[in-house]
Amino acid sequence: MEVKVTKPASFIKVNIQKIGVIPAMLLALLVVMVAGTAIGAVYVPFFDTFKIILKNLGLIHNTTFTAGQEPIIFLVRFPRVLIAALAGTALAASGTVMQGMFRNPMADPGLLGISSGAGLGAVLAIKLGLAAASIYFMPIFAFIGAFLAILMIFLLSYRKGKVPVLTLILSGIAISTFIGALTNIVLTLSYDYQVKEFLFWSTGGLDGRRWEHVQLVILPIVISVALMFVYSRDLNILLMGEEEAKSVGLNAGRTRTILLILISVATASSVCVSGAISFVGLIVPHIMRLIVGPNHKILLPTSAIGGAIFLVVCDLISRVVVIPNEIGVGIITALIGAPYFLYLLLRSKKEGGMVL
Amino acid sequence: MSTENIIEIQKLNFEINSNKILNNISLSVKTGEFVGLIGPNGAGKTTLLKCINGINKADGVIKIKNKPIQEFSDKKLATDVSLMHQNTTISFPFPAIEIVMMGRYPYLKRLQREGKEDYNVAKKNMEYTDTSKLENNPITEMSGGERQRVLFAKTLTQETDVILLDEPTASLDITYQEQIFKYSKERSKQGITIIAAIHDLKIAARYCTRLVLMNEGEILADGNPQEVLTTKNLSQVYGINALVYRNRITGLLDIYVHKQDDQKRSEKVHVIGGGGSASGVLRELYERGYYISAGVFSHGDSDIGSAEVFGIKHVVEKPFSEISDQRNNENISLVKNSDLVILCNMPFGNQNLRNLESAKYAQRLVIVEDDLPETRDYTNGKATQIYNELKKTAVTVITSAQLHEVL
Repeated sequence: MEVKVTKPASFIKVNIQKIGVIPAMLLALLVVMVAGTAIGAVYVPFFDTFKIILKNLGLIHNTTFTAGQEPIIFLVRFPRVLIAALAGTALAASGTVMQGMFRNPMADPGLLGISSGAGLGAVLAIKLGLAAASIYFMPIFAFIGAFLAILMIFLLSYRKGKVPVLTLILSGIAISTFIGALTNIVLTLSYDYQVKEFLFWSTGGLDGRRWEHVQLVILPIVISVALMFVYSRDLNILLMGEEEAKSVGLNAGRTRTILLILISVATASSVCVSGAISFVGLIVPHIMRLIVGPNHKILLPTSAIGGAIFLVVCDLISRVVVIPNEIGVGIITALIGAPYFLYLLLRSKKEGGMVL
Repeated sequence: MSTENIIEIQKLNFEINSNKILNNISLSVKTGEFVGLIGPNGAGKTTLLKCINGINKADGVIKIKNKPIQEFSDKKLATDVSLMHQNTTISFPFPAIEIVMMGRYPYLKRLQREGKEDYNVAKKNMEYTDTSKLENNPITEMSGGERQRVLFAKTLTQETDVILLDEPTASLDITYQEQIFKYSKERSKQGITIIAAIHDLKIAARYCTRLVLMNEGEILADGNPQEVLTTKNLSQVYGINALVYRNRITGLLDIYVHKQDDQKRSEKVHVIGGGGSASGVLRELYERGYYISAGVFSHGDSDIGSAEVFGIKHVVEKPFSEISDQRNNENISLVKNSDLVILCNMPFGNQNLRNLESAKYAQRLVIVEDDLPETRDYTNGKATQIYNELKKTAVTVITSAQLHEVL
């Protein structure tokens, strides 16, 4: 007779918990988004904030508010919170997909050179004075830069229908460093105020994000993330390895290529309106994996929502720690993310492997 | 069982960095065959399996059901051919049922959810492989045997007509080693074609209807187990001295392997035995390279089997008969011509009493005595008397465990 390790009871419990996780997280997202909109230099009560948002979305009528509250809430704070949520969703979903498709817990969309490419695009927009001319220029330049960078990295790594992880990461490092140098050349030739503007962008500034920015990225982010969900089953199989995938009829090379394109669209869209925000794509999937397990059918949606919650909260913190000033949200995510990442590293040393 | 070739491989070549891994392989497999791929490490067994399911892109023709595999889509091929890999490391705590359900992937369209039918197939196969109770257990917390059975259930859930197995039990305890082969054998009887790379030659001989022996990327022998597992083939491929024989106890093909080192010795040794008493002695002498003869064995004696396996000249008497003059003379002349005679720990009856008497002619006699002669004497003391006489002339009397001391 075989000796069976019995652990079913706890596991079934986890399964039940998992089902409730998504609605619970959606509710949490709603709460932090309203809170993020309510809190600021001018405080607007939580429920009033909620009502203002609903009214302006055309969902409720016949409500009046204190003068000036409506524009602050709906034209200034709410789009900013929306951008935070969208960027968080895009980064965390992309991170989950990357870690899954490369079976590597260290994978992060940042490895794809997207931030550096976007940075070069942004600094060019600033230097050429276009950023001041129209608010569309900077995100569009950043998007083009990000996309060119990842395209270059991708083409450099592409071998016979496959994208080897190591080649991708190494060419990502090389291209990022090279683009970083180009960015620094442009910065060296720029005026102080331009450098400051870039610095603010590069630390993940969400200040001054408007509905225009939301309009610009909402479709690419929502569509690319939704398409990632469609690939949940494929991601699960990719976790078993390339040959195992092939054995059940999954073309790993083609699937990875499609997923890389989706990640690129999502991440580039996010970076172009929010600047370089690090660690979201790394730690959110990690935390969610600990809670809901490795199955992408549930991991991917929960990570996407988790990323939104995380970034909205980080943005809120960045606005309130040094009132009336604010610091880049990228600084907050790094301050929280780096220690957590180190904690994971130390833990993995003890357990003989990275927890994924 | 159909006689149609479900797998047709012609002139297959595969190389990695201009290293030839497969060299001009041609192989046809009929529906329902259970083919064992055997051969040393690096012979190309795994590579060949991976060519058949399309992981390795090789030069040459591979047809499944008369259609070249290049003409299959990935998913279509996966509904005809499944491959259970040798070392699937799964470091993610997926519950077993989800692993098994991955076998349904080729049947599902992109946005299609797994249906009741898919779950039924998965559950049926988990029941078959006795893993139903593990359904919700994370695969990472299972024993090697449990994990392999779950992965086998996944392979079956793919519902393919061809199943490829790459050393599915290589690292398992003896309890689990044969399970997957038993399941596979059952499936092949139902018309599923199975090709398995197998490390263990005895298991291969036992379960497979056909063996294909590979060495250095080529097929060296192909046929039923007796035809393929020959001393010549195994010595050539594995560089060992292997003796293949049918085990009289189990009735299965068995393989005896020993070091191929000692130079042949010129000394002649004659072994007097019977009733199974000579087998161990014969083996020990064989391994030391002596020139051996043996006798007189009664027909059907297991010692004859040993003598045959080791290729030892031996004298045999008809069943249930006393040793005839003719056989006795043959035996005595062998005794006289030998430098050493070993009298085994054999039972004595009237039928083989002449064996005992022939020992008198030995130049040097060694007696192996594990049990007192009285306990083996079925001649009312006659044998014991002769035996005790012999003891006086013997160089030494030892137990079988001490045999190596006098050789």
